[in-house]
Amino acid sequence: MPWHLIGQNLRAHKLRTLLTIGSLAVAVFLVCFLRTVVLGLEAGVVGSASNRLIVQSAVSLFVDLPLGYQSKIEGVPGVARVCKQQWFGGYFQDPSNFFAQFAVDGDRLLETFPEMQIVQGSEEAFRASPTQCLIGTGLAAKYGWKLGSRIPIIGTYFTRSDGKPWEFTVAALYESKSANVDNSTLWFHFKYLYESLVSKAAEGPLGVGVYVIRLAGGSDPVKVAGAVDALFDSGPLRVQTTSEAEFQRQFVTMMGSVQTFLGSIGGGVLFAIMLAVLNTMLLSFRQRFHEIGVLKALGFSDAVTFGMLLFESLGICACGGLLGVTASLASASYFARSMSTILPTFAITGATTAMGLGLAISIGVVAGLFPAWQAMRLECIDALRAEV
Amino acid sequence: MAETIIELKRVTRSYRRGSETVSALQDFDLQVPVGAFRAIMGPSGSGKSTLLNLVGGLDRPDAGNVVVDGAELTGMSPAQLSRFRADRIGVIFQAFNLISVLTALQNVELPLLLHSLGRARRREQALRALKLVGMDDRIHHRPAQLSGGQEQRVAVARAFATDPKVILADEPTGELDRHAADSILDLLVLLNQEFGKTILMVTHDPRAAERAGAVIHLDKGQVDRIVPREPVSEQPAGR
Repeated sequence: MPWHLIGQNLRAHKLRTLLTIGSLAVAVFLVCFLRTVVLGLEAGVVGSASNRLIVQSAVSLFVDLPLGYQSKIEGVPGVARVCKQQWFGGYFQDPSNFFAQFAVDGDRLLETFPEMQIVQGSEEAFRASPTQCLIGTGLAAKYGWKLGSRIPIIGTYFTRSDGKPWEFTVAALYESKSANVDNSTLWFHFKYLYESLVSKAAEGPLGVGVYVIRLAGGSDPVKVAGAVDALFDSGPLRVQTTSEAEFQRQFVTMMGSVQTFLGSIGGGVLFAIMLAVLNTMLLSFRQRFHEIGVLKALGFSDAVTFGMLLFESLGICACGGLLGVTASLASASYFARSMSTILPTFAITGATTAMGLGLAISIGVVAGLFPAWQAMRLECIDALRAEV
Repeated sequence: MAETIIELKRVTRSYRRGSETVSALQDFDLQVPVGAFRAIMGPSGSGKSTLLNLVGGLDRPDAGNVVVDGAELTGMSPAQLSRFRADRIGVIFQAFNLISVLTALQNVELPLLLHSLGRARRREQALRALKLVGMDDRIHHRPAQLSGGQEQRVAVARAFATDPKVILADEPTGELDRHAADSILDLLVLLNQEFGKTILMVTHDPRAAERAGAVIHLDKGQVDRIVPREPVSEQPAGR
């Protein structure tokens, strides 16, 4: 195979080659990025614990459950622990500083979510006062918060009557060992929220978003879920009990077919780029019509001319793929930081980079095959007769 | 009698041109001995280029046999014909046909890639061929940086580099001035006389044809006459 001729041909049309490589690099970068976003959205589903159930209103996730349900659920055989979990929905200083906050039973949180490991501070410190909070290490790193830091949160769903922000004190920092719990959440005591609402120091609905059940060892999740649902069949508010994975899936689905949408964008971009590479290769073939005839006259076989065009296409696409993957890896930490509250698990995996490279090489093969086949079939005499 | 290296037996080749069938060679016979230098002349459409293409394995006859250096080309597969060209044929074109993106040295090295040679040996053979044609001081020049005469010298080196037994030249001086044409013809004579290469050269130029050992005149797809400059043994069979 005349490799230097392939290289020289690529260098002979520098601008065209660079533009094609650049467009492919952008496409591969985009595909890696979009796949990482989709994986991030699905991370909660993949990492869900099998020994947890979520109880929510059968009407909608946005309808709160009565406080009195907790003790009834705890009485169902197979239930080890029940923890309240209420979405707070506030922000720090500015709406753009948004991250998840949950009001929970502080004395049950770590028992229900054992994958959350305290790395600074202690559970005791967290339990010591209702205004203490537990924050993820990602959140602490983003805002520079430490143990003892006071965090003012402006409520949107729950507002304080005096118009001031809610005040929390960092009692401990945690790190999650599983993707279903991220490191960018603030957890605080439901008691603080409840007492503020009851005393009219704050305004908002008095209820519980979901109850999180920790199953007893050996219990059947399906039977427990059925028993919990049956408990409230006659009201006052019917519930729907699902596995944590199913709950996460519903949550992702609430955002619409984001994965399909993102997948379509990525697929569309790749298809368009494939056509662009095919166009480049066809142009290259037409410009070298005569040259291919000369090569054949010198004794180069049809297979070699086929390989030349194919490897040229592969070379362009492999370079574009490598560039795109490199760019996505280089910018991963930037995106992980800037999207930490929306997608806490944003990380470009080895599988994603391999997929990006694989797609680039596949495009190279698909786009190179037709011109290569034409070069192979080209009759030497016809090519030599063509105008130079 | 010298051994025959090129033999065409009752070869017929015709082409479709629109709805018309044009006969390029008709029941054509020819024998060329080893080491001969033959010029082929004739009016347009007489079959000169077709003859070269058939001998070079670039085209196939409709009927008859083409035997070059003992190889029967008629039944060869495309891959076998490619190998045959790589091993035994050197080609020189009227329009030089150097690869524009490669240097003179790389152009001459190109056909050597088809032989099992190491990089150093390949380079050595290419440099030797370039030195023979007097282009060893221009080895890193690209075709666009060379004159027509220099380009054709490089093309001669490329045809000679693989040490083929037969060199086919299709109007090698057609695009050159008198001085450059003479120097190319000198090289062809050198390759023929010093290196024993069998040369078939298509030309319209009587002065170029004079440099060959004999001139084969074609007309209407047949050998019209063979005019020797020296005693030659080959004759159109059956004529």
